[in-house]
Amino acid sequence: MNYPIDLKYTRSHEWLRDEGDVAVVGISDYAQDALGDVVFVNLPAVGDTVIAGESFGDVESVKAVSDLISPVTGVVCQVNTALEDAPESLNEDPYGAWIIQVEDVTDSEDLMSAEDYQVYCQQEG
Amino acid sequence: MSELKRTPLYPAHLAAGAAMVDFGGWEMPIQYPTGIVAEHLYDRRKCGIFDVSHMGRLLVEGPDRLAFLQRVLTSNVAALTPGRAQYCMIPTETGGAVDDAYVYLFEAERYMLVVNASNTDKDLAHFAKYLPEYDCRITNITDRYSSIAVQGPEAEAILKALSGAETITGPRKNDLGQITIQGRAVRVSKTGYTGDPIGYEVFLPAGDAVWLWDLLIAQGARPTGLGARDTLRLEAGLPLYGHELGTDPGGAEIPIFAVPLARFAVSFAPEKGDFVARELLEAQKGGTAKRVVPIALEDRGVIRAGMEVLRDGAPAGWVTSGTMVPYYRFDQAGEPLDATGKRAIAFAYVDSALTVGDTVQVNVRGKLLNARIVKRHMRQDLPPYGRAELI
Repeated sequence: MNYPIDLKYTRSHEWLRDEGDVAVVGISDYAQDALGDVVFVNLPAVGDTVIAGESFGDVESVKAVSDLISPVTGVVCQVNTALEDAPESLNEDPYGAWIIQVEDVTDSEDLMSAEDYQVYCQQEG
Repeated sequence: MSELKRTPLYPAHLAAGAAMVDFGGWEMPIQYPTGIVAEHLYDRRKCGIFDVSHMGRLLVEGPDRLAFLQRVLTSNVAALTPGRAQYCMIPTETGGAVDDAYVYLFEAERYMLVVNASNTDKDLAHFAKYLPEYDCRITNITDRYSSIAVQGPEAEAILKALSGAETITGPRKNDLGQITIQGRAVRVSKTGYTGDPIGYEVFLPAGDAVWLWDLLIAQGARPTGLGARDTLRLEAGLPLYGHELGTDPGGAEIPIFAVPLARFAVSFAPEKGDFVARELLEAQKGGTAKRVVPIALEDRGVIRAGMEVLRDGAPAGWVTSGTMVPYYRFDQAGEPLDATGKRAIAFAYVDSALTVGDTVQVNVRGKLLNARIVKRHMRQDLPPYGRAELI
């Protein structure tokens, strides 16, 4: 399991990369492994407001659907629409296949460092 | 929670890196490291093997065994000749399903009934109500035997390579046979739950399960978990108890004739005589208020069990099973291609006025998505491949 140290993580297994003006959001290696084959991603639209701790979309695996929880409050400025035709990218490259980029960030969940997140995942089993 | 039961193949699943889940009280593999999509595709193109040892295996023996089964099953068991199997329902007194089952006649003197793992105890309790009237007995041999389903285009070649046999079973679906592998006898039926035009299920003593499993893998078969077993059966249009059989999401009993395979499972032949719910089933044959139909999603998304189905804004039923399944493409001439796709398909239990070609709406977490009632999701009559039928 891979936990890049330049990212922050949520308890619901999203990652966030702070790029200054924008925050890039995806799901962790642990998340994609637990989901199994991702077959569909329900994405928000550019301009949508996302709220820290609330759902901004969902990922569907063969087995189940899971909410995507936004780590931050802000406005969606980019959506990775390539996931519409290639949702399996989330399995193949979870840290390359970002889902949304958020600007005008005003609030954030309590985020974990890679080290803390790794411990958290190990506790989840 | 009580201790989960394990099949003789449990160590093999762990060694293969399977993710294990509680399935009807059994600790079973949901998927192996390659994942459900890859397992589904490998089964359709090559050969998948499935541990179905958890399924209930019951022997019915004694002078009245036929009369008893004629009473408690919907099929005409008298039509079964040695070396044949048949699909049937175990009807409730009110015309629904206690379970669906397969009855096998390997030897003239005893029937073997295979039932759903999670229903085994319930089925036995149900049978116990009728058994005192008959001179016969039921023995639960689930733990003594093991079953492996060997499914897909290469299934026959693999069993032939292992046994050296010229034929595995007769050519028809539901034919039974026996082969010998390394001196050990293995019983085989030409049956399965994948819809693959070629597929077998083998029965062998519990102690032989790992031995055969490993031999099958060495011949190129791949372990396939319950996840792919479910996507394969959904694509094949095969019902699952607890979804298409039993009770609907509203809590009402689903009549047996609401289910697509009922016409193969129920017989009103004269020699069948009276049986549980016969009159109700005869009435159902003329039509039920709702029925189970295959639907395919027209919009983007995934539809799942329990979602509401609407027609022109009015409630029309529910989705009983649904997910996204992968498929292989074929060229214009029908030759297999390496290209794959995915599609969202389901079973829906809807008003019987709805028919093939009609569009319905599925309530996907508040969003209405269009789905079309289709005749089938897959063609099964062009061996060796099952072929996806797309909308």
